[in-house]
Amino acid sequence: MTATVGVAGAYDRRTEAPVDGRRARSNDRSGARAIRRGSGGDTVSAQLRAGIVGTGFIGETHLGAWTAEGVTTVVYDVDSARADELAGRFGATTASSLGELFEAVDVVDVCTPTHLHAPVAIAAAKAGRHVICEKPMARTAADAEAMLDAAREAGVRLLVGHVVRFFPEYVAARDAVLAGQIGDPGVLRLTRASFRPRQPAGHWFFDHAKSGGIVLDLMIHDLDYARWVAGEVVAVECRSAIVDRPEAGVDHAVAILTHASGAISHVSASWAYAPPTFRTAFEIAGSHGLIEHDSAFTAPVTPYLLASGDGATTTALADTSLNGDPFRHELAEFARAMVDGTPTRTSAQDALATLRLALAADQSAHEGGRVVRLDPAEAVR
Amino acid sequence: MTGHERRAAAGNVRIGVLSMEHVHARSYVPLLADLPGVDLAGIWDANPERASSAAGGAGTRAFGSVAGLLEQVDAVVVTAPNAEHRDLVEQAAVAGVDVLCEKPLATNVPDARAIVDACERAGVLLMTAFPSRWNPAVRTLRSTIVAGGLGEVVALEGVNTGAMPDIHAAWFVDPARSGGGAVTDHVVHLADLYRWMLGSEVVEVYAVANRILQEHFDGVETGGLVSLRFANGTFATIDCSWSKPRSYPTWGGLSISAIGTGGAITVDAFRQRLAVYGTREAGISWPDWGPDSDRSMLEAFVDAVREQRQPAVTGVDGLRAVEIVDAAYRSIEAGEPVRVGSAGG
Repeated sequence: MTATVGVAGAYDRRTEAPVDGRRARSNDRSGARAIRRGSGGDTVSAQLRAGIVGTGFIGETHLGAWTAEGVTTVVYDVDSARADELAGRFGATTASSLGELFEAVDVVDVCTPTHLHAPVAIAAAKAGRHVICEKPMARTAADAEAMLDAAREAGVRLLVGHVVRFFPEYVAARDAVLAGQIGDPGVLRLTRASFRPRQPAGHWFFDHAKSGGIVLDLMIHDLDYARWVAGEVVAVECRSAIVDRPEAGVDHAVAILTHASGAISHVSASWAYAPPTFRTAFEIAGSHGLIEHDSAFTAPVTPYLLASGDGATTTALADTSLNGDPFRHELAEFARAMVDGTPTRTSAQDALATLRLALAADQSAHEGGRVVRLDPAEAVR
Repeated sequence: MTGHERRAAAGNVRIGVLSMEHVHARSYVPLLADLPGVDLAGIWDANPERASSAAGGAGTRAFGSVAGLLEQVDAVVVTAPNAEHRDLVEQAAVAGVDVLCEKPLATNVPDARAIVDACERAGVLLMTAFPSRWNPAVRTLRSTIVAGGLGEVVALEGVNTGAMPDIHAAWFVDPARSGGGAVTDHVVHLADLYRWMLGSEVVEVYAVANRILQEHFDGVETGGLVSLRFANGTFATIDCSWSKPRSYPTWGGLSISAIGTGGAITVDAFRQRLAVYGTREAGISWPDWGPDSDRSMLEAFVDAVREQRQPAVTGVDGLRAVEIVDAAYRSIEAGEPVRVGSAGG
């Protein structure tokens, strides 16, 4: 996709008028806001203006992806100095309040701490703005349901960033399954092994009440993928442990899922590995075949440089530089959906079902591995 | 005169093989024929032709009766179908012959306990064939754990998956003779290694299984995941599935990720292999160039027999593994975690 930064251009924050005059905006606040295709942009997402709320790790990642897509961005954070710094770095502007941000953009990208997803997303929907929300959809199922209701009432789109569905290796494996290459999925093993994000004690990320811990933050990627490949889950057993920094909570968890199809999945999520580990692996065994992947063996470039530290960043992230940026694919697909209704590979309903599964796994872990049942009918409600 | 007294007179340890029906017998027989200080004294099999063919290939005698072979040996390796272990081990014990019994020790807990009791009563040595205990990668992990190099172990994740063994013999997938499918076949190795590494017993088991894999077959379970909780608080999982399709370049594998307060260690026990690309028909194969754990295990058994001391892996180890398999099946049936009958007992 060709980025069209120049064409999309900036907009005047005071008048909300696109300075290049080529983007039209509906002022209809009563229902779905049509985003008309501009004549100048040769990408769909270049016709959008995105407002990013929250400038932590994922906010910065999304800002980079939006920028690469040629989307005009506005940034808001309660920490205005951080917002200014980030906006300056990416050529974005900042808003001084949520309300100002909502006025200035077509789509609100919620990258706040998890427990604040719902209030921000609901406010954005009520302001008539489409909403993109980082995973997990919300801290509680009730919050997620309220988000769905708000989006439905406002007639806006709501999409949740389950980015693993945009990672090429995960997409290729699912495509192979859908093509019947291994038959019916029977046993899945999904692994995500890394180090604990390097945040200080007291950071929201380590507060289970705010983040949901490793199950809602890390394991949820593979819980979502397990559902995407093998369908709804009817039972989950999960165990967890604290390996390092007890004050920061659980950093290793393993779940066993039973799918409605009869398939079974082993899902392992860990922050117990030494930096700079970020390893993802999966095996999908089917009725007549097998798919294996391990990121430990698929890095096309391996540096062996003498003068380097451990190479670890604050939060581990897969090196996506050699086959497109999954975050960019994700946001481009979401943007297209918002402009012209193109279907997406994940829906808010999907994200809610994944959240319910993650909450069930977390509950199981807190109850020493009690088997928690899920109603598959509720997942597709 | 007991077997041991006879052996003392003869010098070499005389070993017989009871049954060629287990695929591992095909590995053990040439190794026994080759081991210094060992006389491969004979092979019995329920099928006389199979016994003759195996004995001819190994340069040893075929026996038409179990009793006949037991009279001529100090020790036996029992590689019959799982359900027939008990009868053969009991005969060996009564004859005063030491036993190396293929895993799983038995298809149910009462048979496994009877095997242990019979050998204890007769005063013969009993070892369960868990060759992975001699895999150097596994031993490195264990010695690191024992030395405290991983801190306190909080979790173990293991994968012991393989091809469906009906390619070797039909009895593997006949529950009357094997005891079950993938759960019976593959849980015991890792369950034993975990017990050995942790020095703790399993108290609770949760397991799920299905029959989706290997669609050419409709019978015992082909896929399984097992979650174990140990008395010391460590939790561990096992993927025991027969998930390797026939196109897979090797039989399967065994790997462990160990998580402790000191970090993590991953072990792939059969990583030492080549990739060989042959003709289209031959396809790809992964010949193993790593050390032969079967040989090390047999050497350890022979040494134990020679010195008449308790082998490194005992019959009780085999019994504990069978108890874990039994709990796994009970959990699959119940859909809930279950306690292990004689945990710690």
